[in-house]
Amino acid sequence: MSQVHRQAGTSHKFWSSSSPSSPVLLQPMHQPRKKAPESTNAAAPFASSLKLLLLHLICALGLASAFWVAFNYYSVTLIQNSARTLLVVWAIEASVVILVYSLLRRNPDQCSVIPVFCHWQRLSYCVIFKFPCDNCLFIFFFCLLFQYVKAIVRGLLGLLAGAFVNALGAIVLGAPVGIQHFTKTIHWSLLMSVFTFVPAASVFGSSWTDWHRIFAQTKPLGSTDFMICFPAHSAVIGAWFGAWPMPLDWERPWQEWPICVTYGAIFGYLLGLVVSFGFVIYHNRRQHGKGD
Amino acid sequence: MRKRTNNYYSLTCSKLALFTVLAVVIQIIGLSLFIVGFFPVKPTLSGMSGLESFYPPAFDSSDLAQNTSALPPEMLKSLYQELSGVPPLFDRLILMVVDGLPAEFVLGKDGKPPPEVFKEAMPYTQSLLAKGLAIGYHAKAAPPTVTMPRLKAMVSGAVGGFLDVATNFNTQAFLDDNLIAQFLRIGWKMVMLGDETWLKLFPDMFARHDGVSSFFVKDTIQVDYNVSRHLTTELSSTDWDLLILHYLGLDHVGHIGGRNSDLMGPKLMEMDEVIKRIHSSVMQTQGTNERGTLLMVVSDHGMTQGGNHGGSSYEETDSLALFVSTQEFSDSESTKEAYQVDMASTLALLFGVPIPKNNIGTVMVDVFTSLKDEQQLRILELNSWQLLRLLQTHLNELGCGRFSCKSAREQNDGPERLCCSYLDATALHESWKSKRSLRSVDGGDYRSTVLAYLEFLGTTSKWLSSRSTDKPIGLLVSGIAAMLLSCFGLMSLTFLFTREVNYKGSQDISHTDNNIRKWHLEENFILAVIFILILSMGSSSMIEEEQYIWHYMTSSLYLILLRKTIQSMKNGSTLTVTAEQRKMRSHYIYSIVAVLVSGRILRGWHQGGVNWSYLPDTAKLLEQAGTAHIKSLQLLSVVLVITICLAVLLTLGLRRHVSMFLVLVYLFPALLILKQILTLQDSTFGSPSIGSTTMIQIVYALLGTSTVGILLGTPWLMPLQNPKTLSSEVSCESPIKLPLDGFGDSLYVIGWGYMFSWCLLQILLQQPINSMPVSLLLLQIVASIRYFSGGNRHHKQWVKVAALYCVGMAGHFGLGNTNTLATIDVAGAFIGISSHSTIISGILMFIITYASPMLALLSMLMGVSADDVRAVSNSQDVDFGHLLKTTLGYPCLVPLGLNSILLLAYSIALLAMRNHLFIWSVFSPKFLYVFATTICVYIGVSSVALTATYTCIVFARRSTVKGSCRGRSTER
Repeated sequence: MSQVHRQAGTSHKFWSSSSPSSPVLLQPMHQPRKKAPESTNAAAPFASSLKLLLLHLICALGLASAFWVAFNYYSVTLIQNSARTLLVVWAIEASVVILVYSLLRRNPDQCSVIPVFCHWQRLSYCVIFKFPCDNCLFIFFFCLLFQYVKAIVRGLLGLLAGAFVNALGAIVLGAPVGIQHFTKTIHWSLLMSVFTFVPAASVFGSSWTDWHRIFAQTKPLGSTDFMICFPAHSAVIGAWFGAWPMPLDWERPWQEWPICVTYGAIFGYLLGLVVSFGFVIYHNRRQHGKGD
Repeated sequence: MRKRTNNYYSLTCSKLALFTVLAVVIQIIGLSLFIVGFFPVKPTLSGMSGLESFYPPAFDSSDLAQNTSALPPEMLKSLYQELSGVPPLFDRLILMVVDGLPAEFVLGKDGKPPPEVFKEAMPYTQSLLAKGLAIGYHAKAAPPTVTMPRLKAMVSGAVGGFLDVATNFNTQAFLDDNLIAQFLRIGWKMVMLGDETWLKLFPDMFARHDGVSSFFVKDTIQVDYNVSRHLTTELSSTDWDLLILHYLGLDHVGHIGGRNSDLMGPKLMEMDEVIKRIHSSVMQTQGTNERGTLLMVVSDHGMTQGGNHGGSSYEETDSLALFVSTQEFSDSESTKEAYQVDMASTLALLFGVPIPKNNIGTVMVDVFTSLKDEQQLRILELNSWQLLRLLQTHLNELGCGRFSCKSAREQNDGPERLCCSYLDATALHESWKSKRSLRSVDGGDYRSTVLAYLEFLGTTSKWLSSRSTDKPIGLLVSGIAAMLLSCFGLMSLTFLFTREVNYKGSQDISHTDNNIRKWHLEENFILAVIFILILSMGSSSMIEEEQYIWHYMTSSLYLILLRKTIQSMKNGSTLTVTAEQRKMRSHYIYSIVAVLVSGRILRGWHQGGVNWSYLPDTAKLLEQAGTAHIKSLQLLSVVLVITICLAVLLTLGLRRHVSMFLVLVYLFPALLILKQILTLQDSTFGSPSIGSTTMIQIVYALLGTSTVGILLGTPWLMPLQNPKTLSSEVSCESPIKLPLDGFGDSLYVIGWGYMFSWCLLQILLQQPINSMPVSLLLLQIVASIRYFSGGNRHHKQWVKVAALYCVGMAGHFGLGNTNTLATIDVAGAFIGISSHSTIISGILMFIITYASPMLALLSMLMGVSADDVRAVSNSQDVDFGHLLKTTLGYPCLVPLGLNSILLLAYSIALLAMRNHLFIWSVFSPKFLYVFATTICVYIGVSSVALTATYTCIVFARRSTVKGSCRGRSTER
């Protein structure tokens, strides 16, 4: 209990950067906040460096292999046939990202043997799926699988929602809206959604606090947050910079929408992966040092 | 406490205003210095040279000039011949212009013959040169090496300044003295086939013409076929004296594939074929004519290795002047260098017409070698007289002969030296003439006379041309230094003001100090935008496509603001947020979305720019769809503008009858405009009838009077306290308190009046296709103001002003403006004008072009009023000066500061790029726009400042009157 208090005390400094002056106002605002850091810290401890390196590598390699597949099996390149290449790339990268990030999912009710046993025996899952009710271990695994699948579904929903938001953003910033650009825009925004929305959707689901923390305030806590926040932001910034050569009169084929924007986004994404890995290692070191 | 505050507030209202005005004055001085330095205005002689050009410059020639215009053409022609004493060498001229042909292709470079490929492609021309029937010159062209200025230089012998383009925007016709006009005067019949630039320059001067457009650059065949197809008939007919053939194909070949394009050989062969046809036909008709026909093959400019032109490199300026006749020229072997402007005087003397008045070229003596010695000297003398006349207009006091040339010879520069060499040459000429019998056999005297004349002609020509093209670097640098000083001054004023506001803010509103001190993302972004804009000024393609930058940056800024709004919604889950606050937040989000969406529509309305302007956009689609759609959109936008303005007025919460009155004031002009649109529906292309002109004038008058009426009346009539806030605020019963609400509300109403009348005026003036963008722009600005006002205290005020400025600039390009002079709506500048007036149509053109930045600047009155005035109300020790300063500080300083940074950066870029390829085609027009934007900012800021000052003074007087009344009543 005292640990909880201390945590709340340390987090107070972190949260109250814009604290209102009146203490009366301060009081109710503290109530929900006490819980938030606790839950995040409990749910997302800094994972081991090796595991994180593996996760980062999988994401990066997924992207590389997607281009490889597109070039070798479908023999399309981004410059010649941007829509189809983007389709292949986002499909492969989406499956990789969803599968990887669903492992990092954060569920309010974690599966553990004893509570699940007590909790689930009363429920009708066993009845529906005709499982033997006394097999606790099986139910535990089933619960894990169920939540994993749930995270995947969330990721898929996030893919669609993110594509919508990204497409809107791109069009507002001046992406062409003609019919001939329609499929390109869709595939591009699906890829952007894989970079930005899908990881967050897989991990957080529809938790407004977490989304708000990552995307509106950019205050990542813990290794998972880093892994979501940095690649997403740098992919967006990379795409923003990638649009710069488009109006120039160099008459290069890659100046077409969305080729150079995609290049920028991919470059930013990879850079974000590196940065997030670096940050995670740095934090691990520091925490390690603190622990000593 | 109070004392300390006063010390700290050293920047009083009057000081701030004084320093700002000082900085602006310095900026104006610097800008005018820069303009004078960069666009030199050379003195030109008006009128045409006539009979007086055959007399020495000292000769009183006023009656001769009158005589010249009175004489019939035939008599004039014979009089010219008689006076000049030189018989014309030819009597017909075929001027064949091969656009973009470098002289190197025909004559070779540095004494070497041209490359084999080109030599083989032009066998006939090369044989002519070898036989001595042709004489070729490398005629160095002056930048800008583009067709129209070069044609002007060829026919007038003068190098025009850049501002020539800007000054005669409404006519392209060439009004200076030139060869074509001289030929017309002696009754020549002229035929023009080829580039229609000639027809634009010389309307109604050609008896027959077939103009081709240089618009379709990809076409290299048809464009030349259209010229050559007339050759057979024209060559056989004898009625013309001047035949101009302007072939564009070679230039197009260069633009497609560069100098070494595969098409170049065949194209040269085709040109060679044309020369062959003409020359052989001339040879055949030789017997029938007395003197013969001169074929002159010239090019207006060269081309770079890549086939472009416009700049001042050797490849581009190396143009050709090739004289082809049926007689042999002596000494046609050696490589000859000349200037393109020399053609005018040479042709004039060859055909016995006066040299055009502003000619700075010298005669090409090698063409005249078939003449007798005294005739050749006479030609040099005539050219010298003409140049001396021009020299005398540059240097009024130059009398030539008042001083001793002995002493002046030592000092090696200056016009005195030119004068001396003239005197030398005339003296030698006189002595040569006098000892006619004693002339030495070897012609030593003659040669020294010629050399003396050539020396005078060469140095004078060089001096005159440097006068018109040289940019005095000292003037430019001092102009930039002044602008730098003023920019620095404005920046430091802004900085001081910000520091003061921050200090005050941290004092008064202690609980949000973190918010005010912290440097937010959007503020960093605005600084980054300025940096990016400065960087983009160095690249010609970024200048051409500037509309993308402004739209991209403005949209990004508003997306960042959207993120910030969402950021503040974190507290949405907590209990402190009332339903009203939540509603406000959703309002903010809607406002930003409205700005973003209408910004995107505006971006898609006109494609704009230079490189992608052919891509489809909304305006083109609508124009294809027909006028009915455009009309309905126009009506819709009028309705939209009225609706927006009503909504804006109603949100203020004035008393109902006041609102009603204000609406009624503007309803009448709005209805008139609606009627105008409906009646114009049928006769879009017809000439404006007198009735509609009167009606438009009535609309102008109504809008003007109602705006001025609102400006003058509102501060007097506005209640001191707003009825809406009166009940809610507790502190308003304090007697000393300023009438802040009344002040704010009247500024709001005046700003509303400005915006409404400005938009109605724009709908009337802009092209019908642009009326929808005007209403979208109004929507954007109203939404922005709504987002930034109303207790949205997370933003610093300067962010608001900068965002409005950005919206204004993005909208400027959204209305179809570009950085080329071509998109200026000249037709709109004559709406509602009954008689031609350059000043009024210039003002109208300015109003049309700067619709959007001006609207943004005027809207600052409305944006300023709501929250900032309330911010003042918290502090205790306020007077009217302080109120005015807080209200006006940012709306004046931020646009002036931003504009001064951009102006300074662009002037420096222009100075650095002064030898760039695109200096005349891209950079200089953009500078004119930057200049006009500066004027626009001055006008907008000063109108905002004057309005607010006036309102403040009125309220100060009213409150003293009221205070004294109250004081009297309490005494009783």
